Amino acid sequence: SGRSADGTGAPRPLYMDVQATTPLDPRVLDSMLPYLTACYGNPHSRTHAYGWESEAAMEKARRQVADLIGADSREIIFTSGATESNNMAIKGVARFYKSRKKHIITTQTEHKCVLDSCRSLETEGFRVTYLPVKKNGLVDLKELEAAFQPDTSLVSVMTVNNEIGVKQPIHDIGEICRARKVFFHTDAAQAIGKIPMDVNDMKIDLMSISGHKIYGPKGVGAIYVRRRPRVRLEPLQSGGGQERGLRSGTVPTPLAVGLGAACEVAQQEMEYDHKRISQLAERLVTKIMSEVPDVVMNGDREHRYPGCINLSFAYVEGESLLMALKDVALSSGSACTSASLEPSYVLRAIGTDEDLAHSSIRFGIGRFTTEEEVDYTVQKCIQHVKRLREMSPLWEMVQDGIDLKSIKWTQH
Amino acid sequence: GAVGNALSRQVVDHYENPRNVGSLDRNAKNVGTGLVGAPACGDVMKLQVEVDENGKIVDARFKTFGCGSAIASSSLATEWVKGKTVDEALQIKNTDIAKELCLPPVKLHCSMLAEDAIKAALADYKLKQDPNKKEAEKKA
Repeated sequence: SGRSADGTGAPRPLYMDVQATTPLDPRVLDSMLPYLTACYGNPHSRTHAYGWESEAAMEKARRQVADLIGADSREIIFTSGATESNNMAIKGVARFYKSRKKHIITTQTEHKCVLDSCRSLETEGFRVTYLPVKKNGLVDLKELEAAFQPDTSLVSVMTVNNEIGVKQPIHDIGEICRARKVFFHTDAAQAIGKIPMDVNDMKIDLMSISGHKIYGPKGVGAIYVRRRPRVRLEPLQSGGGQERGLRSGTVPTPLAVGLGAACEVAQQEMEYDHKRISQLAERLVTKIMSEVPDVVMNGDREHRYPGCINLSFAYVEGESLLMALKDVALSSGSACTSASLEPSYVLRAIGTDEDLAHSSIRFGIGRFTTEEEVDYTVQKCIQHVKRLREMSPLWEMVQDGIDLKSIKWTQH
Repeated sequence: GAVGNALSRQVVDHYENPRNVGSLDRNAKNVGTGLVGAPACGDVMKLQVEVDENGKIVDARFKTFGCGSAIASSSLATEWVKGKTVDEALQIKNTDIAKELCLPPVKLHCSMLAEDAIKAALADYKLKQDPNKKEAEKKA
């Protein structure tokens, strides 16, 4: 609907990249508008109605976030997004307990902000274990258990992976960590509002939340910090002591309100969305795989969130397929890694051959994705994969019965 | 022109209106075949030339596994070699290909691979014309 604002005037592509970001749910926008217009008070202003009304809205939003994950309001801290929340959880906890605890466990498939926070801690003298994952993308629980050391302070494992959609065994990991009295943090940016999450059921001690992955605004997120047993963390940001001293800075009321509304809407829509998205995902995968040979789904078939589908199309390079599918907005691997020339580190961690890693596309199905959009995407995908294979020297060699692994390729 | 990561119109054109995609008979004496790159790198180009008895390239074909810029670079290479002599074709520079396609810095290696592909195809053709030279080189 409408034309692109990029100067070309071309019609807007279909949006199939919900793991990168989501549009605002109209109900979320409605809830934010008063706080972007007449109700512009600072929520920390204690002396007048502008402040009081802003504070009330912020606290309501806090409750909405807490309700979605089975937490108490007092355990929700607003941040600028999941990146900040991840930084706070990892660096904050590590540094607070550093006199007695110097070891952290995480996985090789975490989001860059988790991995980079860990690397940063290594330069401060902490030790980090980056657990490998199995070919299906899931953590091996035995390897996790073996990785604990007497001075482990934190385990960080994301709930749903943003590139391949696999869902980690969070219940089991929570049990393992609680039994050893080690804090368990999960980056739930791609999970909350899409699958049921309960911090007590799952024995989660810290959780990162992102607004713009759940039809909320960009620029806001939250971190859940357990009160019983108490998790302490060293703040990253110093200032006036807002958010229980853990995150100074004026809470952006319109954004917080948007995050709260997004959480409440997600809670209402979760079951319906999940069912509809599962059906659409099944439709997409079945149609593509029945028409096109040599397609691999990356990540476990069962333990996944259905709305994130990562497929490798052998003998076709991913970027060329994205170019061919110009009227569909998709991505090849994570946006964060696209600036480098390396294929996705997540695909490398699950053991994908490098040529297949270059051939991967991520399809995102969301709350507003229609069946027509899925069918159009499928049709174009099939058409252009076939066309690109006709242009592929690799496909030609395979058709001629040549084993590609036997070729001595040139280096450059 | 290219805005940020957007592909240039020329690059997209080479995919949407392909020219010279396909294969020549690699066993023919006057056909040279070059295969460069590696699947693990995400870039493989096969470029073939057909040369007449006067040393002029009369036909060229390509197949590429790679991004849009790689496809466009190899496609443009086949367009440019046609009508040139073998020695003239060896003068084609990757910088000219990159300029014609408005390739951003991050895609310059695609034009370099296309230049490699031209040279590999012509080297293969030359080798086929002079098998004695091949024997001499083997002994050396």
